Amino acid sequence: MSRNVLEKLMHQLCVDRTVKQRFKEDLEGLLARYALTEDERDMLRRFDVAAMQKHGVNPMLTLGFWSENAPDRHPAAYMKALRGADSGGEVFSAALKH
Amino acid sequence: MGKIVGGFLVPHDPVMFVVPQAPAEDIRQRMWGAFEECAARLARLEASSVVIIGADHYFNFGTGCLPQYLIGTGDVDGPLDVLPGLKRQPIPASEALAGFIAEHGHANGFDWAVARAFTVDHAVAIPDRLIVDPVRRQGQSIGTIPVYLAAGVDPYIRMQRAIELGGAIRAAVEAAPADERVVVIGSGGISHWVGTAEMGRVNEDFDREIMGYACRGELSAMAALSDDYILEHGGNGAMEIRQWACAMGAMPGARGEVIDYAAVREWVTGLGFVQLFA
Repeated sequence: MSRNVLEKLMHQLCVDRTVKQRFKEDLEGLLARYALTEDERDMLRRFDVAAMQKHGVNPMLTLGFWSENAPDRHPAAYMKALRGADSGGEVFSAALKH
Repeated sequence: MGKIVGGFLVPHDPVMFVVPQAPAEDIRQRMWGAFEECAARLARLEASSVVIIGADHYFNFGTGCLPQYLIGTGDVDGPLDVLPGLKRQPIPASEALAGFIAEHGHANGFDWAVARAFTVDHAVAIPDRLIVDPVRRQGQSIGTIPVYLAAGVDPYIRMQRAIELGGAIRAAVEAAPADERVVVIGSGGISHWVGTAEMGRVNEDFDREIMGYACRGELSAMAALSDDYILEHGGNGAMEIRQWACAMGAMPGARGEVIDYAAVREWVTGLGFVQLFA
């Protein structure tokens, strides 16, 4: 079940500096090392955290993956990616606006 | 023979450290003050060891090993996830008692996973730093025993098993050769949605339901909470009430008192502080 492989790579992308660096510098080479489907590889390329969660990935991991690797690591950007482009202004936690 | 002399149920909200100024000033003072009140009450219990029950946030443990329950029996430090104002540092441990709890469990149907040198995350580090460290600075010598339950990453430990594990901790403490005075701290919750589209929501009704069970010592009501109910009404973060159930299980029959509570959306969590009386 490749959800498990996806979570394995995402966990490494939260805690392992070497893997994080390779994600930035050689994304396709990194992805080739894991038995992921093309859809799963695309989720990682596009930081599609909403699709990841629909796929069964633990939300703590999507949040950690985003916070450690996304081009815009701001929590509001994460929430916008999760909820859709039109909902970014509805983040009602002050903490998430900071 | 050791003895459990008291317990606390507290949050471990990292957002308090990340954006400490976000809530209104009175809320900020009350919540930080609640940790100070727990520390003052812990000091009066004259504990020699604290068992802090936390949960992994898919940080300490990865897909290669997801323990249902784990105990740190040796050197302890943390947090692994350093926060503003919460730097990593050694944490005084209670190795002899921790090792005994593991051995006693292994002999009595509780196959603890063991961490012989363990860097805890904020789930244990926050209550240790805010509640136990102030008492140490007053001159009391207290060792921390970290316990981790599977409450953040599936497969989750069952609520009933978390309660039984609390009972196993109590049985071990009471069988221990040293006259330890032990306080259990259930660290987590209450309602919060972590990393989901509902992040920032807090459900005060759910929080008060759980605090009510804790104050009335209603273990059976805690055990009866289904995962579906917890996830719907308290969010994925509320699965951490397993830590509360475990601490309650270590003190069967104990009644509790709410020290303070606030639904703090700015800190994405319902923050509840309960003392359990032995």
